[in-house]
Amino acid sequence: MDSKLLNKDQIKIKQPLTTQKEVFQQIAAIAVDQGITSDPDEVIDGLLKREQEGTTGFQDGFAIPHVQVDAIKRPAIIIVSSNSGVEWNALDGKPASFFISLLVPKKEAGTTHLQALASISRMLIHKEKREVLASAENTTTVMEELAGAFA
Amino acid sequence: MAPIKIVAATGCPTGIAHTFMAEEALKKAASKLGVEIKVETHGQVGVENELTKKDIAEADGVILAADKDVYAYRFHGKPTVEVSVAKGIHEAEELIQTIIDGKATVYKAKKSDTSDEEEKEASEKGNNNFAHSIYKHLMNGVSHMLPFVVGGGVLIAISFLFGIHSANPDHESYHPIAAMLNDIGSLGFQMMVPILAAFIAESIAKRPGMVVGFIGGLIASNGGAGFLGGIAAGFIGGFIIVLLGKLLEKMPKSLNGLKSIFLYPLIGILFVGVIMTLLVEPMTAINEGMISFLSNFQNANPILLGIIVGSMSAFDMGGPVNKAAYVTGTALLGEGNYYFMAGVSAACITPPLITAFATLFFKKYFNQAERNAGGVNFILGSTHITEGAIPFAAKNPIVVIPILMIGSSVSAILTYMMKIQVPAPHGGFLVLPVVTGAIQWIIAILIGSLVGAFLYGFYKKRSYSKDQQSKGSENDGQQIA
Repeated sequence: MDSKLLNKDQIKIKQPLTTQKEVFQQIAAIAVDQGITSDPDEVIDGLLKREQEGTTGFQDGFAIPHVQVDAIKRPAIIIVSSNSGVEWNALDGKPASFFISLLVPKKEAGTTHLQALASISRMLIHKEKREVLASAENTTTVMEELAGAFA
Repeated sequence: MAPIKIVAATGCPTGIAHTFMAEEALKKAASKLGVEIKVETHGQVGVENELTKKDIAEADGVILAADKDVYAYRFHGKPTVEVSVAKGIHEAEELIQTIIDGKATVYKAKKSDTSDEEEKEASEKGNNNFAHSIYKHLMNGVSHMLPFVVGGGVLIAISFLFGIHSANPDHESYHPIAAMLNDIGSLGFQMMVPILAAFIAESIAKRPGMVVGFIGGLIASNGGAGFLGGIAAGFIGGFIIVLLGKLLEKMPKSLNGLKSIFLYPLIGILFVGVIMTLLVEPMTAINEGMISFLSNFQNANPILLGIIVGSMSAFDMGGPVNKAAYVTGTALLGEGNYYFMAGVSAACITPPLITAFATLFFKKYFNQAERNAGGVNFILGSTHITEGAIPFAAKNPIVVIPILMIGSSVSAILTYMMKIQVPAPHGGFLVLPVVTGAIQWIIAILIGSLVGAFLYGFYKKRSYSKDQQSKGSENDGQQIA
């Protein structure tokens, strides 16, 4: 898998996050650190707007906040998990704690990255995958599990 | 019993995540419940795993899990469950169970879903397969031909701005730029019939058909058999290749390359050439006969012609009936008859303008969305985009379409009576500089539009007053006249 799409530094698990805003700020901060964007505010705005169109909360504490804006320089996956639940209007009513965030540049033309992101989304449908991710104690486990999605 | 087959289409506005989650959820649920499923995804990358007509035809049911348009009209007549993409993800099993239990309702395509895709629409309806496939082939030819007509026609029209004889080197108004524009535009027109024939044949028999149709079309065009000859050449060319394919079926597979590069073109061109050479004379006679019939009609009975053209153009606004009138107009343009098109254009411009004027003069009987759409229709109408009137007509076709037909007929009749000439096949008022009798043409269209607008307005007023009487509420502070 393309190491730029996801690497260990783009995964931060068990963070002390309690609100949606904090989750988005964390995602944007990682994106800035990793050179994915230089405009964290636009990323946060984009994520918020997408949430307003409809929740990205999935089930069992998973959410896939995603955004496609000009300020994003390259497609990337950023993974954040919280050690407490965050209210996400998820369809099953449960708070979310595991966030797989998909960041896509506005002008993304190549389809490989989009297909990779699609594979991640598909993976979350499977309960056993969700369980492994939710109980992962370190970034390596998360990394390996996701890498499997592209195999 | 054969396993149950389901087709599904998923889509979400961003097309990055949920589209594919729904796809996976449906597949997972399908394998659990032991049914076959094919899921088409409308994601950011475009449509993937596209459903073929065969897939849809064979399916026992359809699941639409989408928050965007997934071309649902394709599923007309199939038992269908239509839900949001979220339900596709979370209730995949229930959705499939609904199909298994036979509880899905039969999908009915809305008129407005189909209007912009007349080719697909034609092939979907399918109750009259043969006629529809003929129509589909014909439209494939027409849609490829139109850009040539538009580009060429407008260039020729511009050359007329220098004076109607400005391209003639012997005439006193000769202008070299006009001559050049005229030459370029004429090339576009010369390609019209060959392209029409080529793509009718291409629709029937793919690329080998195109080659043969093209040659047949050239023969028709050079021989003066016009667009009727082109249509004949297209169908003859296409069917020659289909027939050849059957005859050569028994040839070993290893010779497939030889077939497509050598045998199809050689034998196909030979046959179409011989047939068209023999046909070109009678076809030319028919073609000329029809054209003179139509132009006689123009002179002898402009009112009847106006009613026919107006009613056809407004009947389905961009659909097959409208296109029939329109294609005749463009074909006649190619023959140098600019009168016929003037009426067709007027009749196509009128329906959106009717709705635009109606929402302007009868504001309070329309809701805000309709008023906005009406405003936009000034632009759509002025640029010959008849489809703008569809949303209004779709709400109450039985009443609105006849009103539009009346308005369009008035515009067309006046246009024919004033002998206005429009040399460009599209563009609405943008081509006014090249219209002969531009002012009269605008007046004709305005009269037709206003007649329609008042009829429409009075109808809206009546139904509004009725509503008010029965409801007695929701009066937005305005007095009812």
